[in-house]
Amino acid sequence: MRSRDGNSNFSLRLCSILIFNSLALNASEFLISYKYIVQNSVIYNETLLISRAMTKCEGTPQRELILQNRNGEDLKALVFENSQEFIEYIHELGLHVEHKESTVNLQNFSTTILTLKTTCFKVDFNDNFATIAPLK
Amino acid sequence: MKYSILFALLLSISSLFADEIIKPADTTVTQQTYAEMLAQAQAQAAQIQAEKDERLASEAATAAQKEEEVLKKNSSIHLSVVGQGVAPMNTISPAQAYALAKRAAIADAYRAIAEKVKGVRIDGEDTIKNMMVQRSTIRTYVQAMVRNANVVETTFKEGLCEVEMEIVISHSDFARY
Repeated sequence: MRSRDGNSNFSLRLCSILIFNSLALNASEFLISYKYIVQNSVIYNETLLISRAMTKCEGTPQRELILQNRNGEDLKALVFENSQEFIEYIHELGLHVEHKESTVNLQNFSTTILTLKTTCFKVDFNDNFATIAPLK
Repeated sequence: MKYSILFALLLSISSLFADEIIKPADTTVTQQTYAEMLAQAQAQAAQIQAEKDERLASEAATAAQKEEEVLKKNSSIHLSVVGQGVAPMNTISPAQAYALAKRAAIADAYRAIAEKVKGVRIDGEDTIKNMMVQRSTIRTYVQAMVRNANVVETTFKEGLCEVEMEIVISHSDFARY
């Protein structure tokens, strides 16, 4: 026969696990990376990767961006709708620049790569707008 | 009379010998003077050259001091650059062409900022065979992290996009605690 204390302990553990999991699943933390390549003054490739964080990120929110939101909690759709504004915001956060140029027999060839390394962003979805801020 | 003539002859001979003896003495004196003059001239030339070198060095140092902006404590430097970009050939609309050209121009401006702030690594290589240049190669490389750069002005004319960007660099950005 089980004691009352043992049962309450079990239910407490179960509840805490459920609460923790629900919090983790609803955590609005996203990993975002961005990269684009320019070759000979013409854009060659652009990549923006967005994925939900599977582990909790550390850090405090920094400079935030507020976007109008009509897509629930879909960050990809939100960014796609406001791509220009979001890209400008990413530029302001800071990009890593790598430039290589070679001139062979007076013929020039250049490659510039701009990269935002994978950064964790905290996203708060509200009714009509969403707040995006990097965690550092 | 005979003795007097003989005496006069002896005197003349002795005077001749005396001239021969003195003459070499005169030449040595003149040789010494030339050497001294040469040495003096060389010394003067060296002194002038040294003064000229010193003056040039001080002028170069002053010019470098004037040109090179040093980022002092509690101060900032304002940098402005212009980047250029071209739209790709296979765009579906002028708006897309503009957007892509602007993206390329921004990348070029970032490159320019990086070059100004961090400098450029340059490698050069020339291959010469039978007194003829076979291959001439110049490679440049720059790598940096650029934050807080702002677009000031954008112009798009005849397929070329120009973006003017500025950045303010303060001492605290580089200070290590």
